[in-house]
Amino acid sequence: MKLKQSKSVEWTKLDNASKYFPATANELDTKVFRLSCELYEMIDPNILQKALNKTIESFPFFKSILRRGVFWYYFESSDLIPEVSEESLSICAPIYNKNTKNLLFRVFYYHKRISLEIFHALSDGKGALLFLQTLVYHYLVYRYEEQFKNYKPALDYNASIKKKMDDSFNKHFIGDNGFTRNVIDHNKRIKAHRIRGKRTEENRMKLIEGTMSVKAVLGEAKKNNTSLTIYLAALFIYSIYKEMNAIERRRPIVLSVPINLRQFFESDTARNFFSTMNVSYQFRKEETELKDIIESITESFQKDLTVDKINYKINRLISLEKNPFMRIIPLPIKDYSIRMANKLVDRGITGAISNIGKVQMPEEFEPYIRQFTVCTSARRPQICMCSYGDRLVISFTSPFKDTEIQRRFFEHLSNKGIQIEISSNM
Amino acid sequence: MKYCSHCKVYIRGDKLQCTLCENSLPDTHDEEETLFPTVPLIFQSHLALRITAFISIAALVVSFALKEIFPSNINSPLFVLLALVTMWLSLIVVIRKRHNIAKTIMWQVSLLSILSILWDWRIGWRGWSLDYVLPISYVAAMFVMYITAKIMRLSVRDYIVYLLLDGLFGIIPIVFVLFDWITVYYPSIICVAISIIFLSAILIFEGENIKIELDKRMHI
Ligand SMILES: [Zn+2]
Repeated sequence: MKLKQSKSVEWTKLDNASKYFPATANELDTKVFRLSCELYEMIDPNILQKALNKTIESFPFFKSILRRGVFWYYFESSDLIPEVSEESLSICAPIYNKNTKNLLFRVFYYHKRISLEIFHALSDGKGALLFLQTLVYHYLVYRYEEQFKNYKPALDYNASIKKKMDDSFNKHFIGDNGFTRNVIDHNKRIKAHRIRGKRTEENRMKLIEGTMSVKAVLGEAKKNNTSLTIYLAALFIYSIYKEMNAIERRRPIVLSVPINLRQFFESDTARNFFSTMNVSYQFRKEETELKDIIESITESFQKDLTVDKINYKINRLISLEKNPFMRIIPLPIKDYSIRMANKLVDRGITGAISNIGKVQMPEEFEPYIRQFTVCTSARRPQICMCSYGDRLVISFTSPFKDTEIQRRFFEHLSNKGIQIEISSNM
Repeated sequence: MKYCSHCKVYIRGDKLQCTLCENSLPDTHDEEETLFPTVPLIFQSHLALRITAFISIAALVVSFALKEIFPSNINSPLFVLLALVTMWLSLIVVIRKRHNIAKTIMWQVSLLSILSILWDWRIGWRGWSLDYVLPISYVAAMFVMYITAKIMRLSVRDYIVYLLLDGLFGIIPIVFVLFDWITVYYPSIICVAISIIFLSAILIFEGENIKIELDKRMHI
């Protein structure tokens, strides 16, 4: 009997933030998010495939598949070749399935739009954006070969492959020493207001995107002496508030806000490197105005968004992961505990808002690219936004049919004289 | 683009109603592009599974009814129940683990061992489960796993751990022989012999792969 020798396979541990996603992903919340780039012209699938083949060369980590070990999940490198396909699934449909060995991302095209959908364990918004930017870059360079024959536009993301695969959590945080007794947050666990509603068929995501001028919205934020993100977060809280009844108003509205750690700690990784913070607003008896909310959450942004606070929070999570008792617990039990803990945390959150920020592309591409958009699967209404040039796209995803919060949100902006284009998948 | 005068927003795509307020939009007679594909609903109802479930319940009910009408010493409803449990468990395992052949075979073997011992014990211990079923299924699994892996062109690392595990299972019947739990010896002896030869082969030829595979799966 002769068994053939096979080449050894590369594998990596999951970073601190990734560990949470395989445990909590399910049909209701797939932990998949989507980044899209809309051009002014129809997409050519062949060129897109060519661009994808080129892109994947510089992101070898994206060829990983996720597998279950006895104690932890791990990424295993694969020989699978990613293929582009015409969009045919509902938004952010499940990607990770523990019984199949498939890639953790997909690339779709539909008419004028290229979409990248990613399982969150593989990468975060910033990492995925790097991938999409590179993909669009290669697409346009191939598409306009003649024009860019002598002179290739510069893509300003040039991290080495090694740097892109960095586990930046491991690099910047050591975890505090000894066992963590204060694993559970001793801050009082507040119960937040939770939005309920009738779910869509098959629990599909309802996406409503509003596109508007960055300058115009920034102008509104300036009038209130605040930043774009805080202004829109406050407006989101205000829109939810307007839909609450008197009894519900006794509970605070809590928004979860992801923080890109690359702005605080040096990192070029295309993998997960983010943390989250919560901002909350407790209503008083009298009518609340938008400016009250803005004042209050500006304060919590200033208070919580410091390197010290972030260091403290992440080091605690890391020491939990490094705790010897935690490590020898078999994976199914770990998964179960993460799910339970997640349910508890969930009770304290009303919604989420995430700003990917400005998407930069070479100037030469300006005539071809209309806009970039980002959205995510969500258990509760969630806002994601990004901007390209002067086009700010605010995407609401929600598992519910009702659109009253979204209507109030956009209506407030349109009443300020801002021109809004709405697009939606249902 | 259509304009909703209630929400004061433009609506992109081929919509007839405003996305936000659901009021109908003015017909502009423009050729509007579709922005998202229409995804048909999937009905996750497997007719075959439903029929099997129905037959199972019917069989159980009929067996109970027959026992009431024609009393006998044999506890036939219990047999039917055990058979149904066996069938459903194997079915669930195959459906859930269908993407991992080696794992499926391992699960089936473990399930078969436990269920056959239960059966044997319920119908008055005759020892056929230990005599025949266990050793034969371990050896069979070893060959089936190796052959399917070759046919399906699985890479060695995808099934090597399961093969190793099954090889270790195959040594268990040595206990039956040593403690004299069995009446028929040759299946157990053959099983143990084959398992040891098999194990030494994979350890000698695939030791490195096994080590890598175990490192990955067991990292703490
Ligand atoms: Zn409207």
